Amino acid sequence: MTWYLGDLIPYLPLILQGLWVSIYVSVASFFAGSALGLLAYRVKAGESATLRRISAAYIEIIRNVPLLVVLYLIYFGLGQVGINLDPLWSALIALTINNGAYVAEILRAGFDSVPVGLREAAKALGMNSRQTFRYVVFTPGIRKVFPALTNQFILLFLFSSVASVIALPELTNALMNVNSNTLRTFEVFTVGALLYYFVSSVLAVGSRVGEKRLFRW
Amino acid sequence: MTIILCLIVGVAGSILGFVIGLARASSIRLLRWISAIYTNFLRGIPLLIILLFTYFALPLLIPGAVFSQLMSGAIGLTLFVSAYIAEVVRGSIESVSRGQYEAAEALGFGFFNKFRYVIVPQAMRVMVPPWVGILLAMIKDSSLVSVIGFVDLTQAGKIVGTTTMQPLWAFVVVGAVYFFICYPLGRFGRWYEARLSVSLARPPDELQILAPAVSGLLDHDPNEPSPSAGGNK
Repeated sequence: MTWYLGDLIPYLPLILQGLWVSIYVSVASFFAGSALGLLAYRVKAGESATLRRISAAYIEIIRNVPLLVVLYLIYFGLGQVGINLDPLWSALIALTINNGAYVAEILRAGFDSVPVGLREAAKALGMNSRQTFRYVVFTPGIRKVFPALTNQFILLFLFSSVASVIALPELTNALMNVNSNTLRTFEVFTVGALLYYFVSSVLAVGSRVGEKRLFRW
Repeated sequence: MTIILCLIVGVAGSILGFVIGLARASSIRLLRWISAIYTNFLRGIPLLIILLFTYFALPLLIPGAVFSQLMSGAIGLTLFVSAYIAEVVRGSIESVSRGQYEAAEALGFGFFNKFRYVIVPQAMRVMVPPWVGILLAMIKDSSLVSVIGFVDLTQAGKIVGTTTMQPLWAFVVVGAVYFFICYPLGRFGRWYEARLSVSLARPPDELQILAPAVSGLLDHDPNEPSPSAGGNK
């Protein structure tokens, strides 16, 4: 076996295209998932017992079932009841649902660490629960939550590779195609691994810088 | 098959992760560097890439080696899991206070004995809850070996789904099986953590010293008015 990257050059656009799809899918499902997670957290901490139970069940089920199974369920399973989604939508929905449950847990850990005294003070000042959350819990809480959230984003980016199995043309899928065309297995996966590593390191560094810049209070 | 795979990887990954975690916390700079590169790199790439690498590319690196799907799946997962465990091990070893190291050295413990009898037992308490969490994630991540054709739970679900034309129910069942494996494990982790925080909050020795004095106070809920504490406040 000799090391030769030349065969890969014609496929570079394909690989970069795949990287773009990976990033795009993870960003989209991260924001959608965070919104879902915030909703799940608020509902779980809310008044209605039924909603609380539904939200708890959602979080527990998703956290205990592999992403791949959820993805298969959405992509293959829903076809049985007549809902045929293309790979992109299946991946977006699966990653959003998955991310939502984890974000809900992260938010719970972060926001619940805001001292009870602060909540009580807000109540004493006559704030309602929404105002308390918005002004008293959210602002100090988000600073605690920020590193965990960016970490979750990195994990999500890495796990978006799972979507390659339903033929979503993202980075891993592109790599597998290039591999079967060039048979330069070792080089292809090394390049792929380095690309993933590069992006996740940039994100990790960006998270640390962002943390220092954003939260100066 | 998922269970066999998870047992192999759980044991191998834990041992490898433990060794690498110790290396990361060691005083030898070279060891620290190598293990830092190892953990950072493996944590920065997706498991799927590692699995594809061990399945397709690793046999090319070692001429003549033939790996079964179980073997390459197990190697890939072990590498991946060990990197995460190494981070946990490092974190918990660093959580043991400086004074404990110095005390061990002052008592004449050698490097090995110091870790064996002083540092690791204390780090263990911090280590176990996240460790359980990683093993839990590993069970779920093991579903990815189905991609390299290994017939694990997920792959079995896929086969059943296509043969019976009922993919929806096949995957619901598969999901339920994962849930019933992972959920109790997660509960165990949380229970252990709760127990741990209790033992950290109330050191048992102190309690025993104080026991005669406070035994009367601890018998009842402090919020309830005590029957004996009439006008004695």
